Amino acid sequence: MRKKVVSFITVMLAATTIMSACSNSGGNNGGNTGSGSEATNSSATSGADSGKKVKLTAIMTKHPLTKPLKDMEWLQQVEEKAGVEIEWQEITADWDQKKGTMLASGDVPDLFIGPNVITDADMAQFQGLFQDLSGMLDQAPNVMAMFDAKPETKKIAEQPDGKIYGLPKYQRYWPSTATRQYINQKWLDNLGLSMPTTWDELYDVLVAFKEKDANGNGDPNDEIPMDWPGGIGGYFNAAYLLSGTGMTLTDGSPQGYFVEDGVVKNYLVDERYKSLVIFLNKLYKAGLINPEVFTHDYTKFQSVARGEGDTAKVGFTMGWVASDRFGEQLAPQYTSMSPLKATADSHVSWSYDYNSLNYGVNQIVMSAKSKNKEAVMRFINELYAPDMGMQVLFGSLGPNIKDNGDGSYSVLPPADAKMDPGTWKWTSTMADNGAFYIPDTLQLTLGKDMQEVLEQSKPIDAVTIDVDNDVFPGFLKYSSAENSTMGLNNTNVMNLANTNFAKWVTKGGIEGEWDGYVKESEKAGLKQNLEIMQKYYDDYKKQ
Amino acid sequence: MRVRGGILRTFVRDYQLWIMIAPAIAAVLIFNYIPMYGIQLSFRDFDFSKGLTGGAWRGLDYFRQFIDSYLFSDLMRNTFLISLATLIVGFPAPIILALILNQIRRKRMKNLMQTTVYLPHFISIIVLVGMMNVLMSPETGVIGYMMKGLGLGHINLIASTNTFIPVYVLSDIWQHCGWNSIIYLAALSTVDPQLYDSAKIDGASRLQMVRYVDLPALVPTIIILFILSMGNILSTGFEKIFLMQNSLNLPVSEVIATYVYKIGIISNQFSYASAIGLFNTVINFVFLFAMNAASKKMSNTSLY
Amino acid sequence: MALKGLGGKELAFNIVLFALCAVIFLIILYPLYFIVIASFSDSTLVSTGKVLFFPKGTSLFGYKEIFQDSRVWTGYRNTLFYTLFGTLVNMLFTMPAAYVLSRKEFKARRPIMFLFVVTMFFNGGLIPTYLLMKDLHITNTFWVFILPFCVNIFYLIIARTFFETALPAELYEAAVMDGCSHFMYFAKVALPLSKALISVIGLYYLVGHWNDFFTGLIYIRDNNLQPLQIVLRDILLSNQVFQNGAGTGGGAASGGYAQRYADQIKYGVIIVSSLPILMLYPFLQKYFEKGVMIGSVKG
Repeated sequence: MRKKVVSFITVMLAATTIMSACSNSGGNNGGNTGSGSEATNSSATSGADSGKKVKLTAIMTKHPLTKPLKDMEWLQQVEEKAGVEIEWQEITADWDQKKGTMLASGDVPDLFIGPNVITDADMAQFQGLFQDLSGMLDQAPNVMAMFDAKPETKKIAEQPDGKIYGLPKYQRYWPSTATRQYINQKWLDNLGLSMPTTWDELYDVLVAFKEKDANGNGDPNDEIPMDWPGGIGGYFNAAYLLSGTGMTLTDGSPQGYFVEDGVVKNYLVDERYKSLVIFLNKLYKAGLINPEVFTHDYTKFQSVARGEGDTAKVGFTMGWVASDRFGEQLAPQYTSMSPLKATADSHVSWSYDYNSLNYGVNQIVMSAKSKNKEAVMRFINELYAPDMGMQVLFGSLGPNIKDNGDGSYSVLPPADAKMDPGTWKWTSTMADNGAFYIPDTLQLTLGKDMQEVLEQSKPIDAVTIDVDNDVFPGFLKYSSAENSTMGLNNTNVMNLANTNFAKWVTKGGIEGEWDGYVKESEKAGLKQNLEIMQKYYDDYKKQ
Repeated sequence: MRVRGGILRTFVRDYQLWIMIAPAIAAVLIFNYIPMYGIQLSFRDFDFSKGLTGGAWRGLDYFRQFIDSYLFSDLMRNTFLISLATLIVGFPAPIILALILNQIRRKRMKNLMQTTVYLPHFISIIVLVGMMNVLMSPETGVIGYMMKGLGLGHINLIASTNTFIPVYVLSDIWQHCGWNSIIYLAALSTVDPQLYDSAKIDGASRLQMVRYVDLPALVPTIIILFILSMGNILSTGFEKIFLMQNSLNLPVSEVIATYVYKIGIISNQFSYASAIGLFNTVINFVFLFAMNAASKKMSNTSLY
Repeated sequence: MALKGLGGKELAFNIVLFALCAVIFLIILYPLYFIVIASFSDSTLVSTGKVLFFPKGTSLFGYKEIFQDSRVWTGYRNTLFYTLFGTLVNMLFTMPAAYVLSRKEFKARRPIMFLFVVTMFFNGGLIPTYLLMKDLHITNTFWVFILPFCVNIFYLIIARTFFETALPAELYEAAVMDGCSHFMYFAKVALPLSKALISVIGLYYLVGHWNDFFTGLIYIRDNNLQPLQIVLRDILLSNQVFQNGAGTGGGAASGGYAQRYADQIKYGVIIVSSLPILMLYPFLQKYFEKGVMIGSVKG
């Protein structure tokens, strides 16, 4: 999905040919941190300081906002320390389209960086194209350190046969869920209502939002009581209400899969989902849901909630953080809510997204065709250095991070006052799309935006989640055949689910059609997928 | 023997013609025909380590998989309906537009009109669909307001199984009708003015002149373009449909092209995707073939 | 006198014609007008339906952003070169071939035409094509915009049909009597009589090159070779919100700053990218006006 390039290949082509003679003579220039320097010496001869750097090519799938990589100070340092000079191809869009052709034709760079930039399925399909790093890790002590301190990072990096093609990242600071629930407290106060705690109370509150002039601008009809980005599943979705039935989602369960007491299930064919759809249909019929919920795009979804000046438009919705969802001006009107109970005596849960927010697989992958594997490993090692991780994530020491001098650090506010901290972060550095390791021992004070996120997560944090038995483990490694079967099945199942969900919410009729739908979903491959996932889940639990 | 001599003689006689067409033949052979070995991917597994043509031979397995897929009939129906609607409504539109524009006598008005109608062609599909969403929004769009004003009530044009095809086809006409009429306008510009003069002398009205002078002048172009568009009977614009899709109109908007995309992107199923593509192509080709034969018989006009 | 000459029927015809044109004009123009005002307006107001007839929250932010980017100028330069040079090559390959295929006495025309038509439907797919380009060493060079697929079969067929219908057989016979070869007849008679055709096909090719996005996407890795369309898409995306959910990306970044102007840039990009080619059209259009063939044929 990303594209953008900064490579000057025509100029470099000649240079690369000349330089390839020196391919093994990169070497470190003595600036390595800790144990890193020893390993990189193996192939290094002299001359690193005289500018004979190893030329590498790399692709980075970065965020469109991110500035050119060559402008990142920390990255210059990493390249410097590793004795390499990387010619970056920066991709911000259409990576999937480019990738297929690139991999199938074998025309690949030395290095790929990006979130799951090469998937497990790619690795299985393009055997021999990617370098197995498992035997080379002694050249990257910083990566070994990560594997030692966080054994799960090794687990999610290893293929079933023990090979490691892609290295993960670990960033630890993100909360346990991506989605928080917000309600307009000012509206509640204006209308003298109390905070809803169950679905039925929510209904009553939304009706009041709808019928009265909740935002007090004189127009009783411009309030949108409830909104979500559309469809079923994923972050910020109405499916999060299912937590009120005691169901624990995993990463927002974009395709409906969740675990309950060690059993893999899919809510799309669960009775509790049926009751949610009935409830949503009741809301929709009463005009309480944005009528454009199934058609608006994300831009519109966001801009509607930003209201007009001080006048809020949306009553109840979900989002990452209030200032992002409603804009700085309206954010103070909203409060983060506890999960709503389906009925007064329901047990509540929420979605557990910690793994997908804090870990990432295949963030960096090496080509097996690379002529400078040692140099690539040196680069990887420097990238995973403990004091580099925070710079990959938040930006360079200096403009983005302050060294407090006592071994602790703080993330600085944006230099451009007009910019919010999130945009600033994404502009300044690779951010979450990079490959890095942030040790748990690092003392870093986060920026205002992350503190806000953590603050607003408190109502959710109060919910206890049985991570061992109710959460689907992230990053399981399926075999390539099962991967493609499941992909195919999920496409079909989601086709059915999306269509029916939209129809049932807007027009009703779920009672009569439910049984047929469940059967059809199972036939479309849901049953097969659940069997596969259960098998892998059980294996995972046994370990 | 006579035939061989004939061929040789034509080579000698027409050597200039051969020289003129040689570059085009060379270009087509190199850039179109050489890569065609890739078609066998539809009949083989894609196996990277063995190269593009080294995977195990699967015969028609992938085609069978597609035909047996439970979405097959829906996909075929949707694809066919959308293409057919585009053909029936969309094909005559530029012809009519060209005939109308050709009637404008005032030069400046004609220029203004021509330039205007061809403008929408340059809008990218992403923007077009974005615009449709804004303009047709039942709450805030100008078309939404107009429909409310006309008492048509609260219909969400972009999210209904009934309105998807009309909206798709009409927006297509809006965007490309002017552009497609260029070719007809050019054809009309070659009509001999003497024909108009003699028609006038015969007392023909303007409408009759359109009917008996302009339209016949367009016939060869119309036939050729019609045959070519029949060859696209199962081709629908992927990007636009994909962007227009939402969960409410999905029952009618899922077409072969969008399905292939979803399958391909999710699981890199090169072989399966390639087989579905080939299936689609073969059907198109058969339609083109049949149309061409029919046209050759009826009007003596043919593609080849 | 002239007015009298217009019978009642003629008048009615003109009125209907005018009314039709007015309707078509408005239907086509309004959405375009909308793009223009949207490119000047605050995009939150646009997407909430507040901007319908007049720009609101006017700012030139979108245009500023677009033109401040040095890549835009590189893109413009590249696209201009690819378009002009590419179209020239297209015409050199297409027109002679179309002429040859229109000659009835050219015995091989049917099989060759069939050979061409097949390629409209069957292709080897992206990967073999990519490998071919790689072997020819034209990936990541400007040649990849020019050479591959320099004959569009669709346009070739149109051109052939024109030559067939617009060049009467008598004309060629007369030319042969004057001692004209095919080369000379094509260059001296056929081409000059086909200005309308040349301008149409040329325009089609031109626009094709101008809007070509895919070639740059797949075959070009060097930023300095990227065409305008790719550059504009980059700018567009860098101002897009975090469509896939702020959460996955670690969030909070979609912030008002980037978001408010996303659409404004989107609409600005359309205008920036299509304006040059729009200005070209009226220039080419004048060739349609001349009933070019006629004089020499029947006269």
